[in-house]
Amino acid sequence: MKIVACYKVVPEEQDIVVKGDRTLAFDKAEWKIGQYDLNAIEAGMQLAEAAGGEVSALSIGGKMVDNSKLKKAALSRGPEQLYLVADDALNAADCYSTAATLAAAVRKIGGVDLVLCGEGSGDIYAQQVGAVLGQMLGYATLNAVSKVTAQGDNLIVERTLENEVEVLEVAPPAVISVTTDINKPRIPSLKEIMAAGKKPATTWGVGDIQTELGNKTEILSTLAPVEADRKMIILEGDSDDKIAELYEHLRRVLA
Amino acid sequence: MSKLANVWIIGEEIPAINELTAGAKTLGGQTAVVFTGDEEQTAQILGVNTIYYLGTLADKILETYTPSIIKLVMTEKPNLILVSNTRKGRLLAGTLAAACGTNVLTDITEVVAVDNGVQSQRMVYGGAAFRTEKSTNTINIACVGAGVFECSELPASEKVVEVEFVAPSVSIKCLKKRAKLGEKVNLAAAKRVVGVGRGLKAGEDLKMVEAFAAAIKAEMGCSRPIAEEEKWMAKERYIGVSGVMLKPEVYLALGISGQIQHTVGVNQAKTIIAVNKDKNAAIFKQADYGIVGDMYKVIPALTEKFQK
Repeated sequence: MKIVACYKVVPEEQDIVVKGDRTLAFDKAEWKIGQYDLNAIEAGMQLAEAAGGEVSALSIGGKMVDNSKLKKAALSRGPEQLYLVADDALNAADCYSTAATLAAAVRKIGGVDLVLCGEGSGDIYAQQVGAVLGQMLGYATLNAVSKVTAQGDNLIVERTLENEVEVLEVAPPAVISVTTDINKPRIPSLKEIMAAGKKPATTWGVGDIQTELGNKTEILSTLAPVEADRKMIILEGDSDDKIAELYEHLRRVLA
Repeated sequence: MSKLANVWIIGEEIPAINELTAGAKTLGGQTAVVFTGDEEQTAQILGVNTIYYLGTLADKILETYTPSIIKLVMTEKPNLILVSNTRKGRLLAGTLAAACGTNVLTDITEVVAVDNGVQSQRMVYGGAAFRTEKSTNTINIACVGAGVFECSELPASEKVVEVEFVAPSVSIKCLKKRAKLGEKVNLAAAKRVVGVGRGLKAGEDLKMVEAFAAAIKAEMGCSRPIAEEEKWMAKERYIGVSGVMLKPEVYLALGISGQIQHTVGVNQAKTIIAVNKDKNAAIFKQADYGIVGDMYKVIPALTEKFQK
């Protein structure tokens, strides 16, 4: 089975700085593989280890995705090779443009049976790319998948919904978005990180793949929230009197 | 406020559908619901001009109807489709978006009609910011959770139209469905929420918090570590991740330090009350009332007072 696991490079949330005008600054941010995408890579590895097959990693984004530390971070987790579409034209790609680029890359890789995505990206978490990508490719498409196993040529997947679990038989090619519960992503050893540097990586620009870029939604602003005006009546200490005072406030609020 | 000509609603459960319909009526002139499930249930779908009925889910899954829904949407071209943000809803929204050439506005916290499209807001970067986006395509799609729109009294719907079945070209066969273990919660709709955080020392101490929540008739929620690291509470109760935006009358934060990721999830609460040992905890700057003290002393004492 030829498996492609997709990941997005996202900023470390803790490094995002809120500026005086409530806009965000990312210049100090460390970039990393989105945490939910690690589950997609791990799901690909476990499936290939159990049923045979080859796993490639795929990411698209600005030129910064073509960074040796980030590439090693992906490849050290097991994939045999890496494909990147690294182009600054993709810096502000929305889910539609992202999926269109991934679809073009998957077609160019060719012969792919299974594309795996995380539950959502680590930064925007729209949880849309897998769904859009699957429809663009015309593959069987599922999300919320908490278990994948191979059975003959087909995949048996469990899908954890709000009230029930569906057990489904899917004929590849398929695009599957996995949950965070599906596995515990492996932590690569130093040896694996070293070896990752020797694995093949192919980098394309937007011009190298057949894709049509163009966001379908327009971002008007991204601003830190305004803090609501709060009373801030804080009682110091948990003596019986203070608790009784808090109770009185609470009783009035709940009345 | 400008209005859209046609707003559609797609959802799985009737209360969620009717809530979206109430919102759709504030955004558009004509409204319609696209529904799969028991045919008798269509009588409970209120307030719309048209109910497009696809068929039963007894021997199918919603995804079996995806090509039928795509064909219907591409023929009728509604200006806006509001999709209930269940897992199946999210998948369907993305699939439709690819087919219609649009981008889904997900987990929106507010939406207004502008320039034949919509402008909406959502949380990004784990709650560090709100993003305002505009979608002015021929067909626009938004995924909406509970609590975004106010419910309103709705009359019976006008008519039911049966939709022609289009067989899918991909093969997804449902082998079985089984009930999910665990509980169902709808925190977004709760009027009173008690949130518990790292201040809790052990999983069994939740009993103390549960007794308090019961005494004041509140739902229980928690901060990220309690659900994701300790796994003492279900993921559905984790406040502050995208999608779970609380809008309760009262929010009580017990042993929660108040990191931005959490407080954004609750800052639409009318009143916030905090209990924390650390007087420098960020949550106190977000609180209307607070007490610097041990929750293990404060909570049982309050529970006793409320039980009287």
